[in-house]
Amino acid sequence: MFQPLTARHWLLIAAAIIAMAVVPLLTRNSYLLHVLILSMVFGIFASAWNLVTGFAGLKTFGHHAFFGIGAYVSALVAIHSGLSPWITIWIAAIVATVFGLFIGLPILRIKSMPHVAIVTLGFAEIVRIIASNWQSLTRGELGLWGIPAFTGFTLPGIGKITFSPADKVPYYYLILILLIAAMVVISLLMRSKTGLAIVAMRDAEDAAESLGVNLTKQKMLVFGVSAFLVGVAGAFYAHYISILTPMAAVGVDLMILIIAMALVGGIGTLSGPLIGALILTATVELLRDLDNYRLLVYGAIIILSVMFLPRGLATLGDYFKKRPKAPTPNA
Amino acid sequence: MSFAIFLEQIINGLIIGSMYALIGSGIALIYGTMRVLNLAHGEFYMLGGYFVFFLAVTYGLPSWLAIPVAVFATFILGVLVQRLTIHYLLGKEGWMFSTIAATLGLSIFLQNAALLMFGETFQSVPYYISGMLRVGDIRLPYQRVLIFVVAIATIGVMTYILKKTRLGWAIRATSQDRDAAAVVGIPAQRIYLITFGIAAALGAVAAAMLAPIYAINPWSGLPILLKGFVVVILGGLGSFPGAIAGGLILGIVEAIGVQLTASEWRDVIAFTLMIAVIWWRPWGLFGSKPS
Repeated sequence: MFQPLTARHWLLIAAAIIAMAVVPLLTRNSYLLHVLILSMVFGIFASAWNLVTGFAGLKTFGHHAFFGIGAYVSALVAIHSGLSPWITIWIAAIVATVFGLFIGLPILRIKSMPHVAIVTLGFAEIVRIIASNWQSLTRGELGLWGIPAFTGFTLPGIGKITFSPADKVPYYYLILILLIAAMVVISLLMRSKTGLAIVAMRDAEDAAESLGVNLTKQKMLVFGVSAFLVGVAGAFYAHYISILTPMAAVGVDLMILIIAMALVGGIGTLSGPLIGALILTATVELLRDLDNYRLLVYGAIIILSVMFLPRGLATLGDYFKKRPKAPTPNA
Repeated sequence: MSFAIFLEQIINGLIIGSMYALIGSGIALIYGTMRVLNLAHGEFYMLGGYFVFFLAVTYGLPSWLAIPVAVFATFILGVLVQRLTIHYLLGKEGWMFSTIAATLGLSIFLQNAALLMFGETFQSVPYYISGMLRVGDIRLPYQRVLIFVVAIATIGVMTYILKKTRLGWAIRATSQDRDAAAVVGIPAQRIYLITFGIAAALGAVAAAMLAPIYAINPWSGLPILLKGFVVVILGGLGSFPGAIAGGLILGIVEAIGVQLTASEWRDVIAFTLMIAVIWWRPWGLFGSKPS
């Protein structure tokens, strides 16, 4: 992660971006685009979760709270204030960050992994119950609908761009840009001093602290960035799907989905959560008829990948790599 | 609101709290012995409830027979779960996280397996005993009295096992220092199996006693798991007596909180209490600050 990127890396990254960017030019099949859009939403979510869990080693199980906060805040602000979603998604992300810091502060002082898991899960449950009970505002399980779509604009050279359920292409490019931006933020963060510090802290907390790494500050930074990114993903989701229910936006099922993605792809790697998000979202859609078995399959995937593929698909390549040649002794 | 009704609610809170204590003590036992946070613990409660339902209602067994059989079946289930999943993860690289993740997967798996097998109908079991206890203005169904009696009895038996039997010594020795326990010939792996079984059985006892009051359904495990987590945070993670006290406290706080607000905020009260404790005393209400 800290080696300089080689030409081969840049080529791979460029190829992936170009491949994703040309899809809508080849097909306008709105179902396919929908699946890819969802994969990218979950890709941001899974990458941001991985930033906290895989890189910083803070095992949270309540990140769906920030997804829900992002989704509901952006939708509600847009509905009640009339502000454009282009503005409200950032407001929502900042609100998610504030809550992230609020819940982050107490848990980051504790070095016990189970406490972190329990408290984050409990916090997400509070958010879900509030979204479910505060019916005068959120309409509870009936679902919050009438969420405005992104306002259209004119792009020189291409023409007018409108966001409507009929045409998925603008959403597709918007989420692709958000995904790339999120990955850039995560990569830059990981390659900065903070990145070195948090990996050091994950691997040997006391040693890192003794060398003068300010743990609390670094952890808060990472936690805040992660909550922000998940909040953006949630806000986009709200304006894309245009109906929100507490179960869909803050349910624990969502967190399970994300954990399965990160585990399958490879926790603690940059590309892993993206690979996992793509594979699992696509698999689920292929198995649409087996909808009743969906969560059963997720449960099994989590158990099996933890037991048999603990480092995920993204690291599978390492097994096939040629071993570096042993240095030949000088004759 | 009269004082009698208020007192009645507090007593009800204490009774429900005694069940939270059983759930929490199961989580605490598993964590205390093998440092595994069991996210599938709620599913033992849920399946225990179904076992009671099938034995007592579908097959019409008398409840004094149905409940012990269901509790034993859940014990076996707990042992199997430990042997088939946790056993392979313990001690491997990153086991602390991998066990949490695996039990999370297990939880969602069992929940949906139950949904597919038993359907989404909410089931219930008739009261084990009828009648009403009256003390002054306070009225209490005997069923609730029975819950409390069973909870006290179960806690008594568990305390006896942990304090006075060789098995209990072995469990406590393993939780204090696994390697040292192994040196004196305590088979840690077998202790883990038994502990997991006992914890699952405690969940089934709670399920059996609550089955007449709360509906049995595939989703009933998660809320009770979260309650169990609040209990262990209150009492200090891994402490058996702490879990008992934490359960009773949670029951009473919920009862008072629901009086002041409304019943749909019950869970929010519980989790807020937990986050407050984490801010104030992360090592639990009764534990001592780690140096």
